[in-house]
Amino acid sequence: MKFKSLAVAASALMILSGGAVAYDGTKCSAPGDCWEAKPGFPDKIKGTKYDPKHSEKELNKQTQAMQAMEKRNAERVEQFKKSGNWVY
Amino acid sequence: MRETQHNRWSTVGTALAVSSAIGMMSGMAVANEKLVELQQSNENWVMQGKDFSGTHYSTATQINKKNVKRLRPSWSFSTGVLNGHEGAPLVIDGTMFIHTPFPNNTFAVDLDEPGVIKWEHKPKQDPAARAVACCDVVNRGLAYWPGDDKTPAMIVKSQLDGHVVALNAETGEVHWKVENADISVGQTETAAPFVAKDLVIQGSSGAELGVRGYVTAYDIHTGEMAWRWYATGPDSDIGLQKDFNSDNPHYGQKNLGVSTWEDKAWKIGGGTNWGWYAYDPDLDMFYYGSGNPAPWNETMRPGDNKWTMTIWGRDLETGLAKFGYQKTPHDEWDYAGVNVMMLSEQKDKNGKMRKLLTHPDRNGIVYTLDRETGDLVSANKMDDTANWVKKVDLETGLPIRDPEYGTRMGHRSRDICPSAMGFHNQGFDSYDPKRELFYLGINHLCMDWEPFMLPYRAGQFFVGANVWTYPGPKGDRQNGVGSGQVKAYNAITGDFAWEKMEKFSIWGGTMATAGGLVVYGTLDGFIKARDADNGELLWKFKLPSGAIGHPMTYTHEGTQYVAINYGVGGWPAVGLVFDLNDPSAGLGAVGAFKELARNTQMGGGVMVFALDGKSPYDDLSLGEFSK
Repeated sequence: MKFKSLAVAASALMILSGGAVAYDGTKCSAPGDCWEAKPGFPDKIKGTKYDPKHSEKELNKQTQAMQAMEKRNAERVEQFKKSGNWVY
Repeated sequence: MRETQHNRWSTVGTALAVSSAIGMMSGMAVANEKLVELQQSNENWVMQGKDFSGTHYSTATQINKKNVKRLRPSWSFSTGVLNGHEGAPLVIDGTMFIHTPFPNNTFAVDLDEPGVIKWEHKPKQDPAARAVACCDVVNRGLAYWPGDDKTPAMIVKSQLDGHVVALNAETGEVHWKVENADISVGQTETAAPFVAKDLVIQGSSGAELGVRGYVTAYDIHTGEMAWRWYATGPDSDIGLQKDFNSDNPHYGQKNLGVSTWEDKAWKIGGGTNWGWYAYDPDLDMFYYGSGNPAPWNETMRPGDNKWTMTIWGRDLETGLAKFGYQKTPHDEWDYAGVNVMMLSEQKDKNGKMRKLLTHPDRNGIVYTLDRETGDLVSANKMDDTANWVKKVDLETGLPIRDPEYGTRMGHRSRDICPSAMGFHNQGFDSYDPKRELFYLGINHLCMDWEPFMLPYRAGQFFVGANVWTYPGPKGDRQNGVGSGQVKAYNAITGDFAWEKMEKFSIWGGTMATAGGLVVYGTLDGFIKARDADNGELLWKFKLPSGAIGHPMTYTHEGTQYVAINYGVGGWPAVGLVFDLNDPSAGLGAVGAFKELARNTQMGGGVMVFALDGKSPYDDLSLGEFSK
């Protein structure tokens, strides 16, 4: 509720001041979501000169590494529970 | 759940007798209680924070304001490695446990004859691990688990190459060794493991290489993973309780780990936690902060970037979060939110007794939250020169940003305070519960900052900003000094009982004692003691090298000792350690600390102090050869 009224107040302010209000972190689109683009910057960077153009393959490498470690650790634990000796 | 937990502890004896199933549960409680009990003895220093509350406060009074001038070295120990020596030794049952930076050797020393190494553990690690450490090959120390009827006492360590290892505390033999990070994708470990109940909790490092932060718990008995939760992504990865933030819904609740990012940027979103933890056994919750989002270039990651930069209150057994408060939404300054958590019970401004956590952040704000609900109690600047934020609104919980000191593509921002190195970094500070004062080791550093575009390649650095750090307005920027402060802070009133300037940043944290002393090490190679009431400098000693770890104290055979690691390094000394000259090298640190090399060189060891230097070797026959 508080946020709704904040947002309304903020947009009223923006209309009054011609929209050139810099990002100060206090205008929230939802609780916990108060980011705004800075003056002259886009709301979405995809397709702009700031598009990071991340490779999906690179983005997934960490998850793959984590899953592989979890699997190897689980095998070690299973072996340890059986034998009482840790084999790395 | 919590109530049950509490009751379980008070009826441990009965539970043991009832059945084996309940016996197992109470076994966990016993181990936990034993650690609490050990913390209360002045003969021990069983965890990096000294106790679960992270007070770094000792009730020992043998060394006090009146006699601290008589403090002299009792004995010393060289670790045999250089680079930064963070953290501090542990002391349990008459043995000191010492850790080192890479390759992360461990030494056990019998306090009755400290010249003899009881055991050592020297890991073999891929030297390539060094290349993916952003900020020197430091390690913040060991943890200890006191043992039960199934498993003997353990020393637990982390290795830069990503392993977590449990060692038999008596023999140094490996009990288990698990993989917790993969250097090929830029993950390393520098944080100390944290032990509570029968769990070993380990954080993560590598946000400067786009590593998505994660925190993991392992069963001490078997090395089995108990849970693993992430800092960004779907709620199912982050681990939220059903009532997450129900006391403060305006902090945000569901799905923000994805919705505050554009597209899949959260997969390389940072939020690693490489700092410290605190634990409340009554609430059975633990507390820590997640780090900075990746990359440093803010323009490449629009959105609040939750849940990086967040203070977490999580349930120990499940790891699920009860609350999360994001301190620095959409970070533009690398104010990695990993700093120390210190727990206290104090009356708030309305006279109501509160269970609190207090947390001096990189961003220059000291946060005090109710540690059961996550309610924001106070959020004050640790130095009034912090300028990225006008103030933190306690009603909305939001930092009101000053756009003039933000960062963005196509712009070199100047005179931003704090610098990326923070007004406070990894130092473990202290809290005196009688004086109700926190003793903060502070950096006085500001910066210029200019981002640049760059691609992400797993295993490579993903920073995307050039930075120039320098001493803040109260220091001497021209001469590269005056970059440190020590302050005594009341978290309820927000007042400072005293403030003192230091030549260099106070990187290694502080320790306080009932003798009325605040003790800390300095980058230029001193250990110092100040009067806890007025900050007056009462004593100092020139160590072989600068200190980036905290002092610790213990009593052995009736004598109180103070020990500290020396061996300069970490982020502030990267110029000296890696022989760099460009002021923007070392992620902007080199220019700020160019004077350091005129005051110290690398080293590595432990110095132990006592009144008049009283030592086991006062008996000259100790350790002598005889037939």
